[in-house]
Amino acid sequence: MPGPLSSLRIIEVGEMVSAPYAAKLMADLGAEVIKVERPGSGDRARTRGPFAGGAAHPEKSGLYIYLNTNKRGITIDLASPRGLAIFERLLSRADALIHNLAPFEMDRIGFEFARFHRLNPKLVMTSVAPYGLSGPRRDWRAEDLTVWSDGGACYLNGARDRPDLPPLKAYGYQAGYQGGAHAAVATMGALFAAARGAAGQHVEVSVQESVAAIIEMANTFWPYMGMVLTRYGPKPVQPLDTFECRDGWIFACCVEEHQWRSFVEVMGNPEWASEEIFDERFKRGVNYDALRPLLADWIGKQSVQDLYHKAQARRVPFAPISNLADLVNSEHLRARGFFVDVTHPQAGNFKYPGAPYRLSRTPWEIRRPAPALGQHNDEIFGSELGLEAREIEALRREAVI
Amino acid sequence: MPTNNAPLAGIRVADFTWVWAGPYCTMQLAHMGADVIRVESATRLCVSRVTPPWFGGQFGVNRSGYFNQYNLGKRSITLNLKHPRAREAALRIALKCDVVINNFAAGVMDRLGLGYRDLVRLRPDIIGVSLSGYGDTGPLRSYVAYGPAQVPLSGMSALTGYRGWPPMHVGFSYGDPNAGSHAAFAIIAALYHRERTGEGQYIDMSQWECTMALIGEGILDYTMNGHQPERDGSRDPLMAPHGLFRCRDMAEPIAGRPVDMWTAIAVADDAGFARLAAAIGRPELATDGRFATLAARKRNEDELEAIITEWTSTRFAAEAAETLQRAGVAAAVCATGRDLSEDPHLNQRGFFVTPEHAEIGRAKQAGIPWRMSGTPCSVRSAAPTLGQHTDEVLREIAGYSDAEIAAMRAADALK
Repeated sequence: MPGPLSSLRIIEVGEMVSAPYAAKLMADLGAEVIKVERPGSGDRARTRGPFAGGAAHPEKSGLYIYLNTNKRGITIDLASPRGLAIFERLLSRADALIHNLAPFEMDRIGFEFARFHRLNPKLVMTSVAPYGLSGPRRDWRAEDLTVWSDGGACYLNGARDRPDLPPLKAYGYQAGYQGGAHAAVATMGALFAAARGAAGQHVEVSVQESVAAIIEMANTFWPYMGMVLTRYGPKPVQPLDTFECRDGWIFACCVEEHQWRSFVEVMGNPEWASEEIFDERFKRGVNYDALRPLLADWIGKQSVQDLYHKAQARRVPFAPISNLADLVNSEHLRARGFFVDVTHPQAGNFKYPGAPYRLSRTPWEIRRPAPALGQHNDEIFGSELGLEAREIEALRREAVI
Repeated sequence: MPTNNAPLAGIRVADFTWVWAGPYCTMQLAHMGADVIRVESATRLCVSRVTPPWFGGQFGVNRSGYFNQYNLGKRSITLNLKHPRAREAALRIALKCDVVINNFAAGVMDRLGLGYRDLVRLRPDIIGVSLSGYGDTGPLRSYVAYGPAQVPLSGMSALTGYRGWPPMHVGFSYGDPNAGSHAAFAIIAALYHRERTGEGQYIDMSQWECTMALIGEGILDYTMNGHQPERDGSRDPLMAPHGLFRCRDMAEPIAGRPVDMWTAIAVADDAGFARLAAAIGRPELATDGRFATLAARKRNEDELEAIITEWTSTRFAAEAAETLQRAGVAAAVCATGRDLSEDPHLNQRGFFVTPEHAEIGRAKQAGIPWRMSGTPCSVRSAAPTLGQHTDEVLREIAGYSDAEIAAMRAADALK
């Protein structure tokens, strides 16, 4: 059974996380994705670890391997007119182009929607940029950390009782993943419109806005109440916090009143729990400095798994702090078949995080591992675009591909 | 279809979700023009309706910034699903919808007679979506999860934290909006498949699995190398400096309290470090043996951070970020909610919207993080008040008469 997007051809010009993740989501649902990289060095993700075996190697980057499954890879120097002309031949047969070239780079090489639209009126072109394609910060330099910060997420995290310590970024490349996920949603919307007869169009995605859209209550506290949320200030509702058990860490989570009451039962109804300062979720937020040590004392004597299952038996949404080993060894994830086995010619065999959704008729599947740099040049330039072997050789010699 | 229609114009969604993951999903569908009907109940209010901030500081189920932010452009109907006539109405509405989505734990919709198996018999091309914490199968399928618990469960907490400290959170219920975006993508992919083949289908989503998708490269470090990466604050193995640097407090205190401010700085290579050194008036650092190369900067990172903090701490965050950007260094304000709301860049791009809300009037809300040139997306209306559209939805979509609606109301089915 082919995936739901198996009729789509997508060209990706992606670096690092945002555009590659958007194109990966489509490739994993069956779309044919061709990834275009710079000749020589390729996607910068290839220089980032973790590397299979530990030593840096452009074909063994875990970041690259994770983000580029199911894609074929070619190399084109888009800054050369001949390179761009070959690229346009690819676009003329594509349904979508997803890229994250910087806006100034787009200007420099003439990477324009109007031009591509004339060539292929059905083409959906998605431009993902840290600050979008307009506005005073359009050309600001950005790394994942700076956009996660500028989108308002980073300020919310850090040590609750140590305001002297800086705000703390989340692991990895979360701005990139959010830019990518939102780009996938928007691109899919435009492709759905095209399937119903709309013309191709230009979709613009701002990574900063993708972060600013998801910061929960932090957005509206200012316009609604003239307040800002901070990493160290009181949280409205408690407990929503990490505690140390005798054998590991657990996340205690009581959002609703019935969850707190059930947790109090799990604790054996200690006397302090009936005190008036803890009898309602907002009061527990305000009085959390008094509550936390009491909880820490009791939870500190429990084992993680025992408390987790006892709480869940009463529908209290506690969760263990999983290590990566806990995930790979989870019986639940195994029963769902979450991890899949991937064999990569240079990085070897390993388990790979699988489908984030199960579509009953049209499955998610890994059909091929991430490509080596330029792995599909001959196949795509030759058999698919019809260039002759000596033309390809000349292009290669002149570093156009 | 006229080309200037919104991309999902004509698509209708029965939204049985609550709190944040499901509502964030269906709001994105509403941004694209889908008619989203949120099925609510006054007998069990959505958690986000009873969570601050309150507009003007005054509590009310229609006044939460949390609810109002994540339900833009939807309609709301209240149904007391414990009542058989409400279940009947819910079924009639669901069958007029292209997509039916819930984020209850596995099995709840089946018990209400609204499960996919019931619906698909009556409407074969329907798209059913379950967005639960642990998914529909597996030994823990009945376990409950909230967005904040997904961060630790997924492995993200064990990777996030100051060096040498315990695992930490990321500061908000990140598992929710992330699952919402992945669900929106999967739903439109399923609509695309239906457009081509006429086939509907069922989508089983686990928020846990969606959250693990965000740390894929970390998971591969374990599955390829058996390595659990150490927590290392906001630092980066291939960039230095890379972190948050203290600046002057916000120009005015808020509610009488000073607000600490920080600038994020990330330097990817030695040339970038030379630009930074010049911009902070210390050009000699670029050739100083302690800092001239990445390896040296990583070895002496504490000292490096202290030197940069000397410069940032006498400046406002925006001033520091702008000075560094003019020198070609990646830097940005570590923005508070106020900074975002007043951000000239976001405001000039038209990111914020101020739709007219039936109870609170106009309030500033975050808008849509994408723009489409041909089939425009927009925030079509403010979030609904509780049950604002009950009568019109029952009349227009479920086909009830005014007398029937009155009888249902008298029987307490519409609470």
